[in-house]
Amino acid sequence: MKARWWAACAAVVALLAAGHAQAADKIKIGVLKLVSSGPIFIAQEKGYFAAEGLDAELVYFEAAQPISVAAVSGDIDVGITGLTAGFYNLAGKGALKIVAAQSREEKGYHLNAYLASPAAYEAGLKSFKDFRGKSVAITQTGSTFHYSLGLLAEKYKFPLSENRLVALQSLPNMVSALKGNQVEALVIPATIAVPMIERGEAKLLGWVGDETPWQLGASFATPKTIAERRTLVTRYVSAYRKAAKDFYEAFLQMGPDGNPKNGPEAGALLAILSKFTGQTAENIRPGIPFVDPEARLLVDDIYHQVEWYQSQGLVDKAVEAKAIVDLSFVSGHFNVPK
Amino acid sequence: MSDPGVPPSPARRTVPFRGGGFAPQSRSWISWATLVVVLGAWQGAVSGGLVSPIFLPSPWTILLALKSLIVSGELWRHLAASLSRIGLGWALGTMAGIVVGVMMGLFTSFRSGGIPMVSALYPIPKIALLPLFILWFGIGETPKIVTIGFGVFFATVIATFTGVDGVPRSLIRMGQSFGMPMFGIVRKILLPGALPGILAGFRISASTALLLVVSAEMVGAQLGIGSFVLSAGNLMQTDQLLAGVAVLSVLGLMIGLLLSRLEKWLLRWR
Amino acid sequence: MELSAEGIGHSFGALEVLDGIDFRVAAGEILAVIGPSGCGKSTLLSILGGLLQPDKGRAALDGAPPADSLNPLTFVFQDFALLPWRTVRGNVELALEHHRLSGPERRERVEAALAAIGLAEFKDVYPKQLSGGMRQRVGIARALVVRPAILLMDEPLSALDAQTRELLMEDFLDLWLDAKVSAVYVTHNLTEALRLADRILVLSRRPGRIKEMVRVPIPQRERTSLAAQAELAALSDTLWQSIKREAQVADREMTDV
Repeated sequence: MKARWWAACAAVVALLAAGHAQAADKIKIGVLKLVSSGPIFIAQEKGYFAAEGLDAELVYFEAAQPISVAAVSGDIDVGITGLTAGFYNLAGKGALKIVAAQSREEKGYHLNAYLASPAAYEAGLKSFKDFRGKSVAITQTGSTFHYSLGLLAEKYKFPLSENRLVALQSLPNMVSALKGNQVEALVIPATIAVPMIERGEAKLLGWVGDETPWQLGASFATPKTIAERRTLVTRYVSAYRKAAKDFYEAFLQMGPDGNPKNGPEAGALLAILSKFTGQTAENIRPGIPFVDPEARLLVDDIYHQVEWYQSQGLVDKAVEAKAIVDLSFVSGHFNVPK
Repeated sequence: MSDPGVPPSPARRTVPFRGGGFAPQSRSWISWATLVVVLGAWQGAVSGGLVSPIFLPSPWTILLALKSLIVSGELWRHLAASLSRIGLGWALGTMAGIVVGVMMGLFTSFRSGGIPMVSALYPIPKIALLPLFILWFGIGETPKIVTIGFGVFFATVIATFTGVDGVPRSLIRMGQSFGMPMFGIVRKILLPGALPGILAGFRISASTALLLVVSAEMVGAQLGIGSFVLSAGNLMQTDQLLAGVAVLSVLGLMIGLLLSRLEKWLLRWR
Repeated sequence: MELSAEGIGHSFGALEVLDGIDFRVAAGEILAVIGPSGCGKSTLLSILGGLLQPDKGRAALDGAPPADSLNPLTFVFQDFALLPWRTVRGNVELALEHHRLSGPERRERVEAALAAIGLAEFKDVYPKQLSGGMRQRVGIARALVVRPAILLMDEPLSALDAQTRELLMEDFLDLWLDAKVSAVYVTHNLTEALRLADRILVLSRRPGRIKEMVRVPIPQRERTSLAAQAELAALSDTLWQSIKREAQVADREMTDV
């Protein structure tokens, strides 16, 4: 009887506390419906944002660029997407700061593939040593694909200026160009690459992650948001990292065969990813990108990205990498330049 | 012999004036003044901090971007590439459009078959067809010229066919009554008679060509004012983006002016 | 050359406009066709000139046209049908361009036709710069330049004001009587018919049938005399009585449609 009385009291107190507690802070997060933003979907579905006192609203975009623009205009509080020359140009004007990592190209993880057309393959494009002077389809100049090629050129010591880079704006256009033998090679996400290889429409030359690991994407916010609503960003990063850890443990731990193995939670998380991205679990699994479980950045690579884009004349010379990263939200970032 | 009229009286008054108005004229100084006021307000809003330059670069920075494009010679290379595509695409689309438009104006079978085809195909966004265009025409100059040509073609077909329809039937009967051969009637009566309509169509098709140069240069173009605008947008170089847009506007103005001259000369009989 | 109508009948869909038209225009004769609006006068002229296929009967020719005639049956139109983008000379020349003529011969023909109708000084003027009367003079010059055997005139003066009409009528007459061209002259104006025609064909209201064929007994050159005027006035009155009722009914018909 006494115990029940106490329980009732506790329930009333809890209710009152909940009623008195401040309503959760609203946060708008701009994302693409891609698996690379997987931890966001997991954090939302498993209530990690709510646990941080955040009422998170996911705002979906069709392309990376508008996310940065929306962050600058204040339509979203935090954006998370791939890093492009356009992003750096905008960030460089003092409009955005990177606060945490998203996905990255990492050895052993198959996110983006280099493919050769069967005709080009027959004609001798069999490895990256043959890449010099070949025509390559990309989406846009200054895109992540473009930078990947830049890194590849540095690694295999071929002058990228001798390659004909054909900007075709969209992935279907790129696939069309390769099928029609209009280009010899392309860089394309695994979800498209794997079926093409299986159907014999293209030959695999290698994976970006195996060749040149780099920091593909990040979370970012405006300096104003960071200065005025710092705890909002802190709580966002904290929820994100919790979900990133789940993501890592479910999908990214290396198995003995050198391929990532499924963790115990893989099935449940795949269902969440499938729900948010609208793709089937079977389609998602082979292309799961590497996500750092602690959301740590390859900081030296971000510096390198800025320099490389500047060397190509795609990012304004005045942009300073140091000024566009805020390393204070995550401890243990990799390779922080002095 | 003048009418002596009625002697003046205190109650006599002037008939109130009720005419006037409804006759707007174009005064060039007002056009220029409007331009100056708009640009001035724009520059003021950006310089005064009312509008962030991230969202809207000031006219001055756009001018600087334009200047660097001119000094580096990049502008001319982009313009040359685009103008040759626009010129070729427009010429081919126009010629094909006039031929098909005249056929539709002349023959029942062409008209019955053509009208639904034009209505069905004209509104298709060409961008939606880009993957197919790449398969059909590759990524060289052909798909760019075809994209522009297609847009121009439909606009011209419609203008020509309405123009031919508008030629008074009595003129054609006159030609027949003098025993003029079919081809002579087409060349000497139908085409000149449809010319005002066709020329009005030129205005639309020339703007269409300018609009489409951006879509056309989405595919694998290294040079061209459209590809320049696109890549400036992708790279968030908003001053360059607007400099490119300004070049397109000036191009549009100049083509419009050229067409006015052409119209004045060709239709001097009006 | 003589032109005849042989049992011509025609309908536009369910609307019968002409029925059983038979007549013959002799060489050098001027036949006026009068009748109420909508009686098929213009349709008849189109059939006679080969611009319209009749449902019944046919238009037929006898005899050969003069050797120098390029277009034996030549129209003059109510709305002039001038090409606005051609000058006066260009409009007249149009009728010759598809014929094999040497340059000088063509030029000579055009000059002659323009001079005959008093257009010599207006050669290089566009139609929009001319008055209605002058425009129809261009139409006449264009008809004369092909040396027609028979002129088919579709209310050529009805778009003009009364004064211009008078002037032009006199010029017509002179040209005609000199050139000995025969003509079918469609009009709804009794005065014109009585001034110009040798015979007057009266059509009934729709469907147009031949109601009367009246010969004007006075030669054209003498019709301006006072005595002739009185006789013509009587004739005019008879004709008017004949078409008045028809015209009234036809008028109502039109407004009923």
